[in-house]
Amino acid sequence: MLSEDDISLLAAAQALELAARDIYASAVSRKSKSEEEQGLLELMHSHHTAYEQTLNGVLSKRAATERNAEAYTKFFALLSDASKLWATLLELENTAIATHTAIIERLTSAKHAALLASITTVEARHAAMLASLTSTNLDLALENTAQSLVTQ
Amino acid sequence: MNQLSRRELLRLSGLSLASGLVLAACGKQTGVVDDGAIARLGESPSTTALAEAKVTDEVLLRTAASLEYNAIDTYTAALGLGVFTGDLAAATDVAKRFREDHQEHADAVNSLIRAVGGKEHRCANVRINDLYLSPALALITDDKNENVGVDVIALAHALENLAAQTYQGVVELISDPKLRADAIRIGQQESRHAALLAQVLNPGIASMGPTNNPTTGKPNIAAIPAAYGSQANIQLTIGAPKADGSRTTLLLETPSLNSLVYDSVSC
Repeated sequence: MLSEDDISLLAAAQALELAARDIYASAVSRKSKSEEEQGLLELMHSHHTAYEQTLNGVLSKRAATERNAEAYTKFFALLSDASKLWATLLELENTAIATHTAIIERLTSAKHAALLASITTVEARHAAMLASLTSTNLDLALENTAQSLVTQ
Repeated sequence: MNQLSRRELLRLSGLSLASGLVLAACGKQTGVVDDGAIARLGESPSTTALAEAKVTDEVLLRTAASLEYNAIDTYTAALGLGVFTGDLAAATDVAKRFREDHQEHADAVNSLIRAVGGKEHRCANVRINDLYLSPALALITDDKNENVGVDVIALAHALENLAAQTYQGVVELISDPKLRADAIRIGQQESRHAALLAQVLNPGIASMGPTNNPTTGKPNIAAIPAAYGSQANIQLTIGAPKADGSRTTLLLETPSLNSLVYDSVSC
């Protein structure tokens, strides 16, 4: 059984995934990219949808009902510059990774820490691919300088 | 009510006596001097008990550190082959960078080990070497293999996936939440390595997500093969084609109980 603290932390992770899902949904709906790029956006959108739904299942009645407004507002505004789509999504992925990792550091449930860990390894892959679409700089693909949205 | 006949009684007595003699011949008895009069078949040697092996946070971290040295050694071997030429020329800088990252990871993990009062581990995992890396390098460097450069990258890709899976797997086993986060931070970078190498092996945006080979139906190498980090075994197909045209496939698995770096293991 999850502790109250763990429930709050996992709800924060879920709220961020809800925001990521909606940001990707917005990016997909613009249909501004090539067919292949559109496919990649849809793939990443489906992953964030799956993460949100998994966390929703874990939390059941205690699940988050609203997306993380701070993250959604910030990244939705950044999406207005179409030329920065990949860079914006890269920052979103890195923010999600940093946030989930900070949550792992505070979760008492090892099982749920492992769930978030498995999500972050794929978000890291998302980030590496998004970085490769904007630059050949390896640092951009390999390093994460984003800040967590929850305090460590 | 069963009644024993005189014949049966005598037979049972004989059996009991014979069993007693056998047992007496097999073992020493308290207070009985062994004068060597009773013949015996061989002498069992004295045994030394194995050191008690507990899977602790320290052991899991030492195992992770050992994999970092497997990666460092593999990149060093790959660079030594001098096969990153032509289309693969850019792989030299990538391999050097990834090797540096693994050295940093090894240092970071050993720092964590020291912090929990453990003994650092600064060499490769012997069992992983024996089971996977040495056989893989032997297949790759076979004279008949014409794809040495690509196969070396395939090996690096498999090894990065193995490292990422290992860090992800230990998160559930480590008891200290802070160490779990420290471990997965490194695992995330291994995943980034794996994704970038997947793009070298199967380039293009359309290949970033999961696809299948139209001829064989098998999954192609992908930067983002699934929605969640896998814990399944990793397939590595390398080497010269065999008589039937197929190539050897090795199955790599994350370290298990028999390949963990316990406290008694040293370099």
